[in-house]
Order: sequence, then C-alpha cells, then structure tokens
Amino acid sequence: MIWKRQIPILIVAVVGAITLFGWFIDQPDIKSFVDDDATQWYDILASFAIILGALNLIKLQFQKVAKKKKGWPYSLFAIGGFFFAITAGFFIKSLDNTVVWGAHVTTEGTLSKWIFDYMFTPLSATMFSLLAFFVASASYRAFRIRNFEATLLLAAGIIIMVGRVPIGSMISSWFIMYISVLALGIGVNSWKKNKMITFGVVGIGIVIVTIAGFLTGWPIDQPGIFYLPILQEWIYFYPNVAGARAIMIGIGLGIFATSIRYILGIEKSYIGE
Amino acid sequence: MSTTIILGAWIAVFLTFGIFSYLYKDNPFYKTAEHLFVGISAGYWTSLFFWTQIQPNLFGRLWPSSNYSSDSFWYMIYNGLGFFYSPGFPNGGVDKGHEIHNVVLGIPNIHYLIPFALGIMMLLSLIPKISWFARWGIAYTVGMAAGLRAYGFLNSNVIGQIKGTAASFSDPNLPFWSLTSPSIFNSIVILVGTITGLLYFYFSKEHKGILGKISKVGIYFLMISFGASFGFAVMGRISLLIGRFVDLIKYSGSEYYNATLWILVAMIIILGYDAFKNRGNNSSVSKDAA
Amino acid sequence: MNGLTELILKIGKVDRRWIFIVLAIVVFIPILVPIGMPIRATVTTKVVYDTIENLPPNSNVLVSIEYSPSTKPENHPMAISILRHLFKNDHKVFVTCLWPDGQFMAQDALKQVAKEEFGKIYGEDYVLLGFRPGGEAVIKGIVSNIRKLYTVDVNQTKIDEIPMMEGIYKFSDFAFLFTVSAGFPGTVEWVQYASDPTGVPMSSGVTSIQVNEVMPYVQAGQMKGLLAGMPGAAEYEALIGQKGSATSGMDAQSIAHLVIVLFIILGNAAFFIERQRSRKY
Repeated sequence: MIWKRQIPILIVAVVGAITLFGWFIDQPDIKSFVDDDATQWYDILASFAIILGALNLIKLQFQKVAKKKKGWPYSLFAIGGFFFAITAGFFIKSLDNTVVWGAHVTTEGTLSKWIFDYMFTPLSATMFSLLAFFVASASYRAFRIRNFEATLLLAAGIIIMVGRVPIGSMISSWFIMYISVLALGIGVNSWKKNKMITFGVVGIGIVIVTIAGFLTGWPIDQPGIFYLPILQEWIYFYPNVAGARAIMIGIGLGIFATSIRYILGIEKSYIGE
Repeated sequence: MSTTIILGAWIAVFLTFGIFSYLYKDNPFYKTAEHLFVGISAGYWTSLFFWTQIQPNLFGRLWPSSNYSSDSFWYMIYNGLGFFYSPGFPNGGVDKGHEIHNVVLGIPNIHYLIPFALGIMMLLSLIPKISWFARWGIAYTVGMAAGLRAYGFLNSNVIGQIKGTAASFSDPNLPFWSLTSPSIFNSIVILVGTITGLLYFYFSKEHKGILGKISKVGIYFLMISFGASFGFAVMGRISLLIGRFVDLIKYSGSEYYNATLWILVAMIIILGYDAFKNRGNNSSVSKDAA
Repeated sequence: MNGLTELILKIGKVDRRWIFIVLAIVVFIPILVPIGMPIRATVTTKVVYDTIENLPPNSNVLVSIEYSPSTKPENHPMAISILRHLFKNDHKVFVTCLWPDGQFMAQDALKQVAKEEFGKIYGEDYVLLGFRPGGEAVIKGIVSNIRKLYTVDVNQTKIDEIPMMEGIYKFSDFAFLFTVSAGFPGTVEWVQYASDPTGVPMSSGVTSIQVNEVMPYVQAGQMKGLLAGMPGAAEYEALIGQKGSATSGMDAQSIAHLVIVLFIILGNAAFFIERQRSRKY
C-alpha cells in the first residue's frame, strides 16, 4: 500500500515544493538542480508517458481483435498503421540511407517524412476542419436570441465575424446605422408594444440618418463607431478583454489553489482517488 | 513527379474524403481513416519521442561516448542493447556532447538512473498486475507541473493582469475619448468590466441588491467576450476548411492524375449505391451533437 | 407574406447535410475564383510589425514553432511572413519547437524562406534547434541554460560546433521572441515562464480559437501585439508586401462568414415565427 499510495504522494510533495521554492532560491546547487536536471527528468518522463499512452492504445486495439468485439476488423487498420509507422521510425530510414539515425524522423526523403506528409497531415488537418461544418450547423439550429444576454453574445459574435475579414471594410457605416435604427425599432416595439410609436421612432431614425448621409457625402468609414472594422477593433480590445481578463484571473487563482492542493497532498486524483 | 509522391497524393485524398464522408453518415471509409489515424499517430509519436529525447538526452547521458570503455560492466550492458538494436545504441557510446557530472560505480551521470527507472516502471505498468508502477513517474510530472504552474499562473495571469487593469486617470497625454487607441473611457471600460466580471463569480454572497446589479453588468461583459470567442471559433474552423480545400484542389491536377476527382466520384457512387440498397431501412445520419 | 413565413419555417427544418453542402460550395468557389478584397491591417498586427521593424540590427531572435498540420492554414503563413521579415532585416534566427509536428512545420518554412528565397546559410544566419518534449519544463530549460537542453541541433550537429550559437547560453541572450502557437504548450507558457520573468519582449501568432485566451496579455503589455488567426496572417502579409496563402484564403473566409451570419438570421427568423404561432395557439 505504501508503494502505491504514500510514495507517490510524497514524490509530488517533495518535487512540487522544490520546484515552487526553486523560483525564489538562489543557492547554486539547488537552482542548478531545479533549472537543469529536474527539468531534464521531467522531459524524459514526459516522453515515456507519451510512449506509454501510444502502447496502451495499441494494446486496446489488440484486445479488440483478440476478443472479436464489434468493429474489430477496423482495429487491424490501427495495428497495421502503428507497425508501419514504427518500421519507418526504427527500421527503414529511406531508400538511400544517407540520413543519420535520429535526424531521419524529420528529414526530407525519408519514409517517416512521407508518412507525415501524406498520411498524418491529411488525417489530422481534416479531423479539425470537420468542425467548420458542425459550427455552421450549430449556428443555424441552436443559436437563438432568447434574452438580452444571448442578443449581446450574438451581436458581438457577428460584429467580430464580419468586421475582422475584408468584406467588413466594404460594408458602409451608413448601412449599419440603418440596421441599428431597425434594431432600435424592434426594441421599442417589445417595450411599448405600440405600432404607432414604433413606426414613429423608426421613421424619424431613417430620416435623420438619410439627411446626415446626404450632408456628409456618405463616407464609407464615418461615423467610426458604425464602421464594422473600427467597431470590432474596439469590442475586441476593450469590453472583450475585460470579460476574458475576469475569466483569466479567476482561472489563475483556481490553478494556483489546485497546485498548492497537489503539493500538500490534499488532491490525489493522479492516483485515482 | 515521382511515384511515391503520386501514391502519397492519392492516399492523402482518400483519407481526406474518408474523414469528410462522416458528414454524410458514419461509414466504413470514415472508420478506416479514423483507425489508421489512431495507429499511425501512436507509432509516429513513439518513434519521434524516442529519437528526440530518450536516445539523445537519457542514453546520451548514461552511456556517453566520451566515457566509453569496452571493459566496463556498464558499457557491456550497452553493447548488449546495441546487439539487439544498433541504430539506437551505436558502437562506442552515444555522442551528443553531454557533460559528465559524476561517475559512480563506472556509471556516468548516475543520477539519471532515477528517470530511467521511473520511465521503465511506466512502461511496465502495461502489465495489469503492476499497473500502479506508473504512479511514481506520473507523480514526478504532476509535482513538477504543480510547482511550475503555481508560480506561473499567479505571476502572469493574476498579478500581471491586475497591473494591466489599473487605469491612469492623471496622465495628461491620455485623451478622454478614443475608439481604438488608449483613452480614459477605454480604461474605465476595462476596469469596470474586469471587476464586475470577477464579482459575477463571487458566490459567497447571494446575488441580490447592489451585488445583483453589479454581477448583471459583469454577465454582459462576459457575454460580449463569449460572443467574440464564438466569432473567432467560427473564423478558425473556416480557415482550416479552406486549407483542406486548397490541398484537394492541388491534388486534382493532371500531374497527380486527377486524384481528387476520381476518388470523389468513386466514393459518391459507392455511398450512393449503399444508400439506394438500404433505402427501406432507417439509415443512421451522422450522430454528432451539432 | 404567408408564403414567405412558410418558406422560412421550411428552411428552418431542413436536414443539416444541406447546410454542409452550402458551406462547402461557398468556401470552394472563392478559392477557385478569387475576388481580391483589400486587406486592412489591425492595430495588434501593426504593433507586431513595428516591434520587429525596430529591432536593433543583427539581433538574435528566438522563433518558436508550436503548431501541427491541422492548423497549418492559420499558422504557417504567419511563420513564413515573420521569417521573411526577420531575414529581410538580417536578424539571426534561432528556431525551437515545443510540439513534435512543429519541427516539420519549421523545416518546411525554413526551407521555403531561408534557403530558397533568401539564400541564408544554416549555422550562420539561422539554426533549427528542434523539438524537445516537456512543455513548460522545456521553456524553463531554455530560460536557465539552453545548452543543457539542446546539446545537438535537429541534424544531430553539436551545438558547440554551430557558429551562431556563440554567446547564446540562456533566454535573456535573445533580443526578441516570436512564437507561432496553436495551443498547449505555446504562447501562454512562453509569457508565464520566459517573457514575464526575464523581461525579454515577445509577440505571438495564434489560431483564432486562442485569441481570447491571450488578448489580456496583449492589452496588459505582456505581449507586443498579436497575429490573430488567418486574417492576422493576411494582414501581416499585406504589411510586409508579400502575399501568401493567407491572403488568398480571405475571400473564401469573408463569404463563408457572411453565409454563417445569414444562417443565424434565418434560424432565428424561423424560431421567432414558430414562437409567435405557439403563443397564438
């Protein structure tokens, strides 16, 4: 029990404390250990952890084939792909063998690079790009203006989406002003629920915007606050940062607290408790 | 163009359309591509991490060529390993230029036996009876990550951000109003937004009265932030899709024997025939939560 | 009017595979038939450009590549443009990678820009130190002693034998850091463990998803500007006067965004009509 529980907790406490206090200690031996050797050990263990993960994955695929679980023929592709990549990484460098072992995993003309360019890259890139379709579908089917907060979210999202791309700079600020007048009308209608007042507000708004436009000559980027690129720049750099910063500070405090919990041995999720 | 490149292009297009076919419905092309991805990623990462870290930085320190001696017991073990796999354990030791800090019992840099032992324990944890072996290595990485992050997040994400939120009201060069450059108005927006946003997450007191109103303002700032995140998420995904289409267009050229067109037509025919055959049954649409 | 509301309701219930097809078409066509919309650089992109432009001559610049092929359309044009700018101004470029795939991306970018475009000499003008696993620990290692972490470069050449590595022992020996990042470990870790503790200025190019995560650092001055996604890469291409893949993708990006906004409006119109009907009945 001591090997499975107490020793790991002790390791976390000792290593965590040394690493944390190592930021503040200038004693050369401790500093050298924390900054150099301890870091190297971490890198080496991280590598072993990745290799463990990969081997575990393949072990599961083997088990699926052995027990003939549902979909087991596809696991043969997973196992085949694994051994193909291992062969390229450890046994066959390239056709002409001029590349040094070690550099062969990243050099042009090797089997590893071929696998990376024509198998790994298309697979990983396409997996990510699938999400574009699902985002579009979600926007269409799930994004609903149910309350004021959702409206704010939607408005900010649309302004950023359109304002940050070239087409945003081609939309005149006067078009946005007309849209704003219509939106104001919708707001007045949901508040007063009186068609006469709504039509009055919208009508006056349209007249004011039109007169202002004629007087100023309809410049595409004035007034600046209605020009999408400038409006999105302001939203992006100020109110958006304020909200993101609040979240960042909250998360930062949470991570600090959790790290201290790990070091003090209160949090033991890494051993499954 | 060489055969390997053309073959590679056809495989790349097949795998791309295989993944995209999921949009129609879950099908064997998608499952095949998905499983290949799993296997190839596992193999590729194993070899990459071995050659970039374990062989040069661990074996290069434990068996450096500068300390090689054919009489040494320690290097006899190395030669034994080299007999089984010579590329990873070349003759005469691993020459990566590492310093030798100590030599104890004939073992250079003996303290690197600790990560070596922990690493072997991690790999042995694949055996179910001794799966707990991995805990020691994981504990080391967890402890170190905790120590690093406690400082990093407190310094940069808390203190650094509080500094950035501080507004200067006495600076004579700062205008009161400016849309895109620093101004007093913009500083107030950031200050108010950050404080009200943080207060929204303060749950030790009920959000009623003044605190309720303040946290409501905080929600509005958070919603603007989430809306902007949504906008950027859409932007990012569309960019990735554009990248895939550019590659597919490249591989539709005659130098690649129109790979894209042939594979697209073949998949449409096969999936269409399958849909025609199963048109009486309820065919499963791609079951993704959109 | 009734006909229009019925049509909107019908569109609101359409199978989502039709939405996929529409999106595929509106992204595909502008790639084949470019429109050539003008690109307007934003403030955060200009700050990156000005910072690099104002670096002292012959500066040692660390460029860290942490993205994979999955985000190549967004990040690769940034890496290419930044390298072009740095080599044009004759700075010394040191390239590291915190992601394994980043090493391939770095090699592709350096081959295209350093070797083929500028004819720079490896080991004298640029060096690819390569990938090391460990995330934040790697950054910490670079900050304290880069030579302990990197004893050889990506070609397995010893660091001591590379001429431009003379005088480079730790992070503060660099004048500037630029990181092209797609997630963890990346920009955030460089800010926390390298730039903030040492004061070496840094900037970054990130994927669009990450922008909100790092914007507070930009606004607080912990980072000098930011290249935000493919639009940011396109803006930088416009600033250095050399168009690339990001610029050519912006037409498709613009049209796709407009179509998604249209989807949102249509979806909400159908939602409001349905809600009104259910209230009526």
